Amino acid sequence: MNPKRYISIKTFCKYHRVEESFVHYMHEYELVRIVFEQGEAFLHDDELPVLEKMVRLHQELHINPEGLHAVHQLLQHVEALQQEVGRLRRKLNRFEG
Amino acid sequence: MAFIDYYEVLGIKREASAETIKKQYRKLARKYHPDLNPNNPEAEQKFKQINEAHEVLSDPEKRKKYDEYGKDWQHAEEFEKAKKTRGSGGFSGYTYSGGDSGDFSDFFESMFGGAAGFGRRQKVRFRGQDYHTELQLPLMEVYTTHKRTLTVNHKKIRLTIPAGIEDGQTIKITGHGGPGIEGGPAGDLYITFAITNNTAFKREGTNLYKTVLIPLTKAVLGGEIVVETLSGKVKLQVKPGTQNGTKVKLKGKGFPKYKKEGQFGDLLLTYEVHIPTQLTDKQKSLFEALQQTHLA
Repeated sequence: MNPKRYISIKTFCKYHRVEESFVHYMHEYELVRIVFEQGEAFLHDDELPVLEKMVRLHQELHINPEGLHAVHQLLQHVEALQQEVGRLRRKLNRFEG
Repeated sequence: MAFIDYYEVLGIKREASAETIKKQYRKLARKYHPDLNPNNPEAEQKFKQINEAHEVLSDPEKRKKYDEYGKDWQHAEEFEKAKKTRGSGGFSGYTYSGGDSGDFSDFFESMFGGAAGFGRRQKVRFRGQDYHTELQLPLMEVYTTHKRTLTVNHKKIRLTIPAGIEDGQTIKITGHGGPGIEGGPAGDLYITFAITNNTAFKREGTNLYKTVLIPLTKAVLGGEIVVETLSGKVKLQVKPGTQNGTKVKLKGKGFPKYKKEGQFGDLLLTYEVHIPTQLTDKQKSLFEALQQTHLA
């Protein structure tokens, strides 16, 4: 494990002022992956944008972990649809142009 | 700088209670939160306005100042000085330094100075904004891996574009997004590729499709044809009696597989038998002679 690419959950939670159980909930709902190394839990830095987004939604909009799971899935749908619209728009532009 | 009616922004009456302000803020924040509205700058702007309105109206002191000066906010400072001179106290002691003042309007800055960002977090490091951009490339440019220099937000970025990238595919360039706030890490740059195709090949994943016209005589009698592929010309043997619509697969003559060096998809050819429309007298008489043989 390259230590530069991992952050301990303890550090993440302290920094974002969030309970460790929150991160474990997110792991349970498969929103993030946790790696255990010598008994300590770590996050890969690729997971940070999603987890930080969930922390913001939790802290700013008071959405509970169950709600965050639903929100995350719907956002994935929205982003997939946006990409599909973008792809179709580009295709259409080529036919019109 | 225009006056901002924070009550209007939140859609509440001027005499609204603290509870109503909180409820309405939460309702609107849920609706316009940038994390819930991906790639929607209007929602982000609206969210900032709501946040700013809440920042003022949820704080009794700021709300008092805002209500007192309202549209005369530009003269608030003068009023303040006059009050101080009279020894009546006033609004000194605002120390909203830190935070991302860029999230607030000029009106807010002028009246209250800088303030904490969303959620009242002060001196917290934030990851920079992610940037999204589109890069249009012709199909042939993604047939081979190549390097390219892009200019994003006045910064030059040299990146390797791997062969086989798909139309609509997005790649992430870590750390090339917006700068972090208060020493936070930079955001990422997302590049979505728009691949234009003006070749005779239709691309589906790593497979290429092409229609090849073959002369009627070659379709009947068989023979050699030369077909253009993306990697050069190839000679093919057409079998005698080849039917219109016959499909031929050329393994490994398709498009490169993304990030799998040396691996290619297939090229699928569809033969279209060319029926001649302009015949010489001799050719016509030969066809008539053929017809006499009752050729099916």
